[in-house]
Amino acid sequence: MPQEIRLTLITDDRYRLHDTGGRDHPESPERMRRIADALAAAFPDSSLERVSPRSASREEVRVFHPDAWLFRFEEEVLFGRTFIDHQDNQVGEETFSVALLAAGAGLTAIDLVETDPDRVVFCLVRPPGHHAEPVRPYGFCFFNNCVIAARYWQQHHGRQRVCVFDFDAHHGNGIQTAFEEDPDVLYISIHEHPSFSYPGTGWAEERGNGPGRGTLLNLPLPPGAGDERILSLLDGPVAALLEAFVPEALVVAAGFDGHYRDDMSGLAYSSSCFREIGRRLGQWSRALCSGRMVSILEGGYHLDSLAESVVAYLTGLQPEQSDTREKTPCSSPPA
Amino acid sequence: MFIAACMTPNPVTIGPDTPVVEAAALLRRHRFRHLPVVDQEERLTGMVTDRDLRSACPSSVLGETEKQRVEEQVRRTLVRAIMSTDFVTLNPESTLDDALLLFGNRNIGALPVVDDAGRVKGIFSLNDMIRAWQRLFGLGERGSVLVAVREEKADDLARLVQLLGEREIPFTRLIRSRREDGAQVIYLRLTTMNLRSVHRLLTRAGLTIQQPSLDG
Repeated sequence: MPQEIRLTLITDDRYRLHDTGGRDHPESPERMRRIADALAAAFPDSSLERVSPRSASREEVRVFHPDAWLFRFEEEVLFGRTFIDHQDNQVGEETFSVALLAAGAGLTAIDLVETDPDRVVFCLVRPPGHHAEPVRPYGFCFFNNCVIAARYWQQHHGRQRVCVFDFDAHHGNGIQTAFEEDPDVLYISIHEHPSFSYPGTGWAEERGNGPGRGTLLNLPLPPGAGDERILSLLDGPVAALLEAFVPEALVVAAGFDGHYRDDMSGLAYSSSCFREIGRRLGQWSRALCSGRMVSILEGGYHLDSLAESVVAYLTGLQPEQSDTREKTPCSSPPA
Repeated sequence: MFIAACMTPNPVTIGPDTPVVEAAALLRRHRFRHLPVVDQEERLTGMVTDRDLRSACPSSVLGETEKQRVEEQVRRTLVRAIMSTDFVTLNPESTLDDALLLFGNRNIGALPVVDDAGRVKGIFSLNDMIRAWQRLFGLGERGSVLVAVREEKADDLARLVQLLGEREIPFTRLIRSRREDGAQVIYLRLTTMNLRSVHRLLTRAGLTIQQPSLDG
């Protein structure tokens, strides 16, 4: 049984205002409601705290996105465009401000975790971010929420060594762009093999460039890969690299589209697999970086499975009394 | 695609009277493995490879006296003595297919590209070939995904392209290929993340998406 569940949800009703045009766009406002409802049903009110995020400032976004993109994004929205560059990237009149609010959630979360690392913090946001490149939106993403959060952790709290761990079914090309030459940020991504999956990046042979060599780990999985494959990667190469790197903080790009019922990828994880992922991440964060971890929602498009998987993941993140007894690569020290 | 667009232009060349040791140093310095040998008019007269140069050098298992004797001999040897004159060439108007056939039929790692007068214009290596095919197939292009559709009826290809056009779903590559089991498959590199939409569109139109599988 969980000792004391203290779950902080960083979210806001305004996230529903980012309009992706309805019809068959998978990244719909409904995703927020379904997850929020499932969390309310799964966790008692007393253990679930809701906090409103602040918006990221332009300066905070500029750690990855130059002014050219900020101006263009804002302008396209003001002009009443319905998408930017590609039909995937649907926008409505509120999208620019909602995207700043999504980028701000990670920053609000980091400030909270820094004052109280015992909290489990989840940013329930949209639009997602990990495909966003410095001056181009890709795959429903406009600002790279995880990159902005990792840089904030370094610059505002002096946590220099940050790991960004990404279990979304799609490779986070934008996160790799941000950190592939940076020895201080470790990016680990487990995703469907780029030969079969959007965005066609994230090859295993890429291990970082120049001074960043060795702080990038792409672990592609073939279509059809399920719980066993991802968990053995977590217990093998991921655990080994994390323990060698010893991050001071962890940013998790939490995507749930690897679920077997989600038709946006060919991966086949069960809902309970996300509890196992959460359990390992929770243990690593407590053992390696005193609980300094924030998770930020990325993908996940099958509504029932998404809601169920987020609940499973957050349940897994909670410290359990059994933690101290389990023989795991880095179980937390006895209380 | 013409070789002129994907060869390495203006390669380093040497004359036939260059000493072998000099040629070896040149290859080491530039880290390549093939050197065209040209006469005073820049016309190709031979090819020398790092393997030719290695075989010309004394073996490490030789005794000291013997080794010195061979080294002295190597120092006096000129490239013309070891270069291969039985070379195959491409010209700038050759195509990637020409090169692919030559690489497939002969055990060579690079082909010199010469004009009608036999002057060296470039060199086309296996690495150039790999890069050209990566580009051609859009490998590593951000924001793309490969989708395979089984071609079961005569108008499947036409309908597929029409459907994607109507729905403004862009694609950058299309390859139609017959697999070993006889199945005809159309491979498309689509630039969209919204695969759900694509699958629905194609399935509703009666097309069959080929799911990736190790069995074929």
